[in-house]
Amino acid sequence: MNERIATQRDGLLAFSHHHLRRDVKWNLAQNFASRKLQPMERAAEGLANMLAAEKPAFLADERIAYIRTVKQIPDLYTEEEMTALRAKAYYHEKGVVFNFSPDFGSTIKAGLLARKQEIQARMKRATDDNDQEGQEFLASALCGINAVLDLADRYRQAAVAAGRDELAKLLARVPAYGASTFHEALQFLRILHYTLWCEGEYHVGIGRFDQYIYPYLKADLDAGRISKDEAYDLLAEFFLSFNRDSDLYVGVQQGDNGQTLMLGGCTRDGQDAYNLLTSMCLEVCCELKLIDPKINLRITPRTPLSVLELATQLTKQGLGFPQYSNDDVVIPALVKFGYELEDARDYSVAACWEFIIPGCGMDIPNIGAFSMPRMVDTVMRSSKAKTFDDFMADVRQQTRAEADKLEASLSNVDMLPGPFASVLCTGRIDTARDVSRGNKYNNFGVHGTGLATAADSLMAIKQLVFTQKRLTLTELAAAVDNNFNGQPELLAATRYDVPKMGNDNDEVDALGTALLDAFADAWAGRRNCRGGIWRAGTGSAMYYIWHANELPASPDGRLKGHPFPANYAPSLNVRVKGPMSVVKSFTKEHLQRVCNGGPLTLEIHDSAFREADGIRKVAQLVQFFAQQGGHQLQLNAVNRDRLKEAQKHPEAYRNLIVRVWGWSGYFIELDKEYQDHVIQRVEMSMGS
Amino acid sequence: MSRGLIFEVREFCLHDGPGIRTTVFFKGCPLRCPWCHNPEGLSFAPQLLIAPQSCVHCGACKRVCPRQPGEPCRACGACSKVCPQGCRRLCGVWREPAELAAELLRDRDFFLNNGGGISFSGGEPLAQAEFLLELCPLLKPVHLAMETSGYAPLATYQRVVEHIDLVFQDLKHADPTEHRRLTGVDNAPILRNLAWLKESGHAFIARIPLIPGVTDSEDNQRRCADLLSGPSGMLRVELLPYHLGAGSKYAMAGLKYQPGFDEHAAVQPRPDLFQDRGLKCVVM
Ligand code: SF4
Ligand code: SF4
Repeated sequence: MNERIATQRDGLLAFSHHHLRRDVKWNLAQNFASRKLQPMERAAEGLANMLAAEKPAFLADERIAYIRTVKQIPDLYTEEEMTALRAKAYYHEKGVVFNFSPDFGSTIKAGLLARKQEIQARMKRATDDNDQEGQEFLASALCGINAVLDLADRYRQAAVAAGRDELAKLLARVPAYGASTFHEALQFLRILHYTLWCEGEYHVGIGRFDQYIYPYLKADLDAGRISKDEAYDLLAEFFLSFNRDSDLYVGVQQGDNGQTLMLGGCTRDGQDAYNLLTSMCLEVCCELKLIDPKINLRITPRTPLSVLELATQLTKQGLGFPQYSNDDVVIPALVKFGYELEDARDYSVAACWEFIIPGCGMDIPNIGAFSMPRMVDTVMRSSKAKTFDDFMADVRQQTRAEADKLEASLSNVDMLPGPFASVLCTGRIDTARDVSRGNKYNNFGVHGTGLATAADSLMAIKQLVFTQKRLTLTELAAAVDNNFNGQPELLAATRYDVPKMGNDNDEVDALGTALLDAFADAWAGRRNCRGGIWRAGTGSAMYYIWHANELPASPDGRLKGHPFPANYAPSLNVRVKGPMSVVKSFTKEHLQRVCNGGPLTLEIHDSAFREADGIRKVAQLVQFFAQQGGHQLQLNAVNRDRLKEAQKHPEAYRNLIVRVWGWSGYFIELDKEYQDHVIQRVEMSMGS
Repeated sequence: MSRGLIFEVREFCLHDGPGIRTTVFFKGCPLRCPWCHNPEGLSFAPQLLIAPQSCVHCGACKRVCPRQPGEPCRACGACSKVCPQGCRRLCGVWREPAELAAELLRDRDFFLNNGGGISFSGGEPLAQAEFLLELCPLLKPVHLAMETSGYAPLATYQRVVEHIDLVFQDLKHADPTEHRRLTGVDNAPILRNLAWLKESGHAFIARIPLIPGVTDSEDNQRRCADLLSGPSGMLRVELLPYHLGAGSKYAMAGLKYQPGFDEHAAVQPRPDLFQDRGLKCVVM
C-alpha cells in the first residue's frame, strides 16, 4: 500500500469525510401521493431529486470521484401507500429491485449517451405501437440517465474549478462516453454503483469485476499507458470507495450491504477466466483489510494451489472472505435449474451467496426460508409411524406441505420499478419493460435453515425411539417441551450418544441427504408466480437465529434459546474430529439439487495461518473441499480470545471484522446475540 | 494381534509433518517432563477426564457410578455417557490395528495426492511398539511421521523407524544428570538411538523444547548442537520456546501442574549455535 492509499484508508476509518454529509428532510412521498404519481414516475423523479440534491465533493488526493453528501435517500411512497400496496401483493423486503447483479460492463463500454440513443430509438417504436407502459418506462429511464449526466457534469465543473485537472478530464469522458482506459472504467463503475444506491436499490452486487474490467487494464498495460504500480494504486482507491458510504446502507445488521464481487471462474464459452486482475484484486484486498467489497472466488478441483494460497492470504486477514464456489458443482446445478449453459458459466452471487446471473437474472433468491428443525418437530408431534422409514415418509410429506404453504403465501409477488437499474440489465431497453417486471430468469430461492440440527434430531429419533425403543415420540416431545428438565441422562444420550453431522458418519449424513432431497423434491416442478421456478438452498441468512427462537429445545439436545448453526455447518455443540470430516459430512449430499446457495462454514484458528506451511495447508483444505464436490465454502480465521476481549472493550476493537452469515461486518457493531453466536462457532474452531 | 491405547485421533494437525495430516495420539509415556502439555497422555491406562466448569449438579454421574465408597475410579466411562454437559470424558480407547487403519485410510487418496499423511504422537508411540509395528504396514504407502522422545531399546527404535518416513526426534537435555532429574529417565538410550538415527541417514527433524531456566541455557543448546552435528539425514533443528498454557489440562486429568520453573521468564533461543555447526535451525 503506498502512502496515498494509506492516508486515504486512515481518513476513511477516521470518518474524516463525514463532515461533507448533510441531512435532508425529504417530503417527496407526500408530494407524489398528492399528485397520484405512478410508480414508474416516482422512481424517475426520486432519482432525479436525489442526484440534484447531491453536491460534488472531493477528497484530497482522490483520483476516483463521487461521494455521498446527502445522508437520506427519499422515500417514494407514504407509509399508508406502502401498506395499501402490501395489502394487494407481496413486496419482498423493501419492495424495490435488490439483491441482484447488473451488467455494468456493457454500459461502461458503450457510454450513457449511446444508451440514451438506444432508448430514444426504442421510444419511437413504443410510440408507433402505442405501447403505454413501454413509453413510461423508457421516459423514466431517459430521465434517470439525464440526471446522472447532469450530476457528472456538475462534478466536472467543480473539478475544473478546484483545479483537479485529472478528474475534470476523466469526467469529461465518462459516464457520457464509453470508457477508454482502466482509470475511466473504474470511475464509470463508481458512478453507476453509486447511482443505484441513490435510486433506492440495495444489495447491488458488483458481479464479475475481473472479467468486464480486465480488457481496459490489459489495453493500458499493452499500450504502456499505465504501470502495474499505478494500476494497483487505482484499484486500491476504487476498493476503498466501497467502504466510504456503506454505513448509509444498513441491512439487517450493519455491514450487510451486499457489495459482493466475484472473481475467477470460466468465460461464457468455458475457458479459464482467471487473469491478472483476479490476482490483483486478491492482493489489494489483502492490503486494505476492509469489509468491502466482499470477495468471492470461483474455483474447481483443478485450480492451481498457488491461486488458493493467494486467496488464503486473504482469509488470513480475518475478513471472512474470500468465499469459494465450485464451478464443477454450481454450473451443472444451474443448468439443471434451467439456466442456459452460457449464462450458468457467467454466474456470480447476490448479496450473500445465492447464485445469480449478472444482467439477465431477476431472481428473488432469498424470498423465503424453511426451518428444517421445525419440520422435524412437527412430525415428531404428529406422526403415528411404527418404523423409522414410515417416520421419514411423514417427514417428506410434511416438507411438501410446508412448501405448499410457502408457495400459497407467495402467489402474488410484485416489485417497485427501477428504471435506471433496468438500463444496466440485459435486454430491458429492447423489450421496453422495467426489470421489476422480470427478466430472463425469474426464479425464487428458498433457504433451508438448520440442516444439521434437523439431521441430528432425526438421528436421535431413529436411534432412541425406533432402534433402542428407549422412549416414544410422545415422550420425546414432552422432554423437548420441558427443555429436558429433570432428564439429564436423556439429554446426555441425545447429545453424545447419537452420531452427529460433521464427523463423516454415514448414517447421520444420510439423514442430512434425505432431508435435502425431500426439500429439493418438494420444490421440483413448481412454477412461481413470476414464471420462474423454485430453487432450494442451504443458506440461512439471519433465520438461523429467528427460526431457532421459534422452537423449543430439539431432539438433538439443543436447548431452548440456543441457535442453529449458520448456513451449512455442524451444530454448535458438536465436537468434530477436524475439518476433513466436516467437509466429508457436508459433501455427501446431492448438492446440485439444492444449489440456491449457502456455504459450508469452517472456522480455522488464526494461529494455523502463522505456522510454517500454514497457508499452504489451509489452501489444500480448500482444494480438498472442491475435490469432494462441495458447492460453496466460507473459511474464517478466528480467535476466541480476541472476540471475548472485543466484547468487553469494544472501543479497542473498532476494526475487528468477522463473518456473520453471508457477509462480514465489524464485530462491535453486531447485536450481542450475533456476537455470541460468532464466539460459539469459534470455540469449535479447528487447527489450533 | 496387539491392541493400542489411543487417546485421540485429530485431523488437520499442523505441527506434525508435511501437508495435511491426521495425528494419532498414543496414551502412556515413560518420561515425566514437568512442562508436558498433554498430561492425559502420561498414564498407560484409560482414565476419566473431568471438566467441572459447566457442571449443573444434576447428579446423573453419581447415580450411575458403580464404585463402592472409598474405591478409586474404575474408568468404566458410565458417567461420561450420562453427563448432559459433557463434563466427563473417558480418555483412552483400546484400538485394533485394522480398525484404526481403516478409519485413518478414509483420506488415503488425499494424503497420497497432496503430500500429507499420518503422524504418531502422544504420549510416547514407541512405548506401544508392537501395536505400531502392526499398524504401520497397513497404512503404507501413506507418508508416516512420528514424534518421539526416543526413549526405547535400540532394537525397538530401529524396527519402528524402518516404517517411518519422517522422525521428529526430541532432545530435551544433553546432560545425563539433568535429564534424569527433569524427566525421570536416563538419556543414554535416547542418545544411542539418536546416534544410530544419524548414522542410518534416515530423514528426521530434531526438536528441542526451550524451557526457561531449564533447557534454554547456552550450554545446553551448545551441547545439543554438538550432538546433532556431523553427517546425517537431519532436515533441520526446531527450537520450541515454551508457551504459557501448558498447564491448562492438568486439573482435568486430576493432576496438579507444578512446572518448577518460572513460566513467564523469557527464553533464549540460540539458533546461531546450531547454524555455526552447519545445521539448519528454526525457532518455532
Ligand atoms: S468412570 Fe465414572 S462411573 Fe465409572 S467409576 Fe469412574 S466416576 Fe464412576
Ligand atoms: S452428570 Fe455432569 S452435570 Fe451432572 S453432576 Fe455430574 S458432572 Fe455435573
